Amino acid sequence: MNNNKLSDKLLVNGIRLLALGFFPLIWFLFQAILFRELTEILPRSILVLLAILIGSSFIFLLYFGMNWLIGFAPKISQEGLFAGMFIGPALFMLSLFLFYPAIRTLYLSLQDRYGREYVGFENYMWAFTDSEMKIIIRNQILWLIFVVSSVIILGLVVGWLADKLKRGESFFKSIIFMPMAISAVGSSAIFKFIYEYRPPPLTQIGLINGLRVSTGEDINGKECGNNIITETGEKIDYIREGCLKPIGWLQQRDLSALPSFRNIDNSDSILSFIVNLPISTFLLMIVMVWMFTGFAMVVFSAAIKAIPSEIIEAGQIDGAGEGKIFFSIVLPYIKSTIIVVATYMTVSVLKAFDIVYVTTRGDLETNLLAVKMLDEFSKFRHYGRSATVAVLIFICVIPVIVLNAIKAREETQS
Amino acid sequence: MNLEKQKWYDKPVSKFILIMIALSWMLPYIGFVISSFRPGDSVKRVSWWSSIANGEFFSEATLANYSEILFAENLSRSFLNSFAVSIPSTIIPITIAAFAAYAFAFIDFKGKEIAFLFVVGMMIIPLQMSLIPLLKLMKGGAILFGIPIIPELNLNGTFVAVWFAHTGFGLPLATFLLRDFMMGLPRSVVESAKIDGASHLVTFFKLVLPLSVAGIAAFATFQFLWVYNDFLVANVFMGIKPENLVVTSHVAQLTVGNYGEAWHLRTSGAVISMVVPLIVFFSLQRFFVRGLIGGAVKG
Repeated sequence: MNNNKLSDKLLVNGIRLLALGFFPLIWFLFQAILFRELTEILPRSILVLLAILIGSSFIFLLYFGMNWLIGFAPKISQEGLFAGMFIGPALFMLSLFLFYPAIRTLYLSLQDRYGREYVGFENYMWAFTDSEMKIIIRNQILWLIFVVSSVIILGLVVGWLADKLKRGESFFKSIIFMPMAISAVGSSAIFKFIYEYRPPPLTQIGLINGLRVSTGEDINGKECGNNIITETGEKIDYIREGCLKPIGWLQQRDLSALPSFRNIDNSDSILSFIVNLPISTFLLMIVMVWMFTGFAMVVFSAAIKAIPSEIIEAGQIDGAGEGKIFFSIVLPYIKSTIIVVATYMTVSVLKAFDIVYVTTRGDLETNLLAVKMLDEFSKFRHYGRSATVAVLIFICVIPVIVLNAIKAREETQS
Repeated sequence: MNLEKQKWYDKPVSKFILIMIALSWMLPYIGFVISSFRPGDSVKRVSWWSSIANGEFFSEATLANYSEILFAENLSRSFLNSFAVSIPSTIIPITIAAFAAYAFAFIDFKGKEIAFLFVVGMMIIPLQMSLIPLLKLMKGGAILFGIPIIPELNLNGTFVAVWFAHTGFGLPLATFLLRDFMMGLPRSVVESAKIDGASHLVTFFKLVLPLSVAGIAAFATFQFLWVYNDFLVANVFMGIKPENLVVTSHVAQLTVGNYGEAWHLRTSGAVISMVVPLIVFFSLQRFFVRGLIGGAVKG
């Protein structure tokens, strides 16, 4: 009897190891090696077809295989094994593909810049003293302040106004929300086209420079224009004295290229503050605001719709104006929603990569942490430094998420 | 309350503000899409608004850019790659998450709280945190305490690497959302199936999965668009070899690279990259928004 129990236990544990340990590993390795080999030999179109078919169905094989193996265990001990089968792959993948690499990054950040030996906090010292890193941190803070607040304010205004539309509300919302569906790469390309600069005398095809050079008159009072040949054969251009010159917006560290700021008094602190605004960074922030306002709008408008209409009506009966209703009823009511959006935006800004990478490649003082992290890795092979920048992003994200989680918890409990 | 008095927001001025906002949100696309239909040399010679103003656009409009970018520049291949990346990268994490969510919602087992805390805790890890070691793992394997768990695989540039990278990044949120959804299902249904002798696998496939379609669709739409639009993960794991490019990395390469002023290709390429997300977005808007709002708590 006792013997029987022991052999049962051995069998169950053997099956557990086989079904939950070896089998998933073999499943992963088989799939990995299969595709690595197929990539070499198959033409692309067949490979793609196979990838879609096998990639999407292979995952079920994992569970059916485990289920089949568990079937050999005694019925009485199967419940525990089934729990392992349902939960195991998730824990396995999270540990292997997320947790383990994150711990490695922490460890790597304490090694020298090439990731060879332990040096303690040397990389962190670099991160806060290096002149380029200082600018990156400044940019990141500017992005956080400007993007998060603009998205929230614009989202509130647009969501509040759209909510009152009698007709076309969903159409209007779709227009604002659309940038959220397309890729950040696409959005960046769109805005790069708007900011495009071409050295004179080429035609300006970017909207901003095009409008800029087409306005005004030259010193003789003749109209400026964007290289247009009129019907009479006369050429109207901007390469004349008095006409505005195009500006390479994304190559500007500050506003000093604008003629109105050219000869300003440096002792005036407000003016010199304005001149030193990093214009290219602000122009890139606009891309992100354009992309995410729709998200904020949708979330806010759902929250505004959830406000009981009696509350707003009561306010109206008491004679409160629209502005008063907005500030003293709507805003307090959706406070927790605003915090959720602020959290989401903060995390998104900290991870922002595509916009800067595609438009300026991080050059000319426009860089951000996420881009720097990849640069240190792929450009300079500085694994240690790259890991340090990643950890910095992580450290900034933690408090935001934790605060949000605590808040969410309080709400569900109350 | 005087109802006769016109509300300020009914006045033309607030309508005007809304229309102006909508127009300014549309304006960036307009010039871009117009330029994608213009021959390359005209794009450089005349600005798009002038070409509309003087009618030149209507006589020169062409699809040549699209065929050039799709076939000569091989964006069609990148397009296929994008699907081979994003469809499994949506299905794999959702399947794994659905199984785990079922266990969290309906099976009692030891260490359930800790396991759930672990899964949810992973949400705070930004993907930058695990990017580089994960890349090394896919290439050179993983060694834990001297024991090689994963051998040297050299998976860089294969679809498998991207699938499992996205699986790792997408799993915590997917599990969290689906568990929430399944907790909302009537527990009695699952219990009565158990009494009838149905196994967990049968209950899962025949009962819980069909009832969770709405939750799964919400996350699937979100995840698909996320993966399809992703550039960072594809760039790191698939690399920049021409045959491995996905749509986003191809468009990024056109935009950032030394294509000089090939705006006719940049525009048409980017427009093609936007077609799929916009179709998904307009047909599954409700699911997408729900998934997105759920995703607002992710790290």
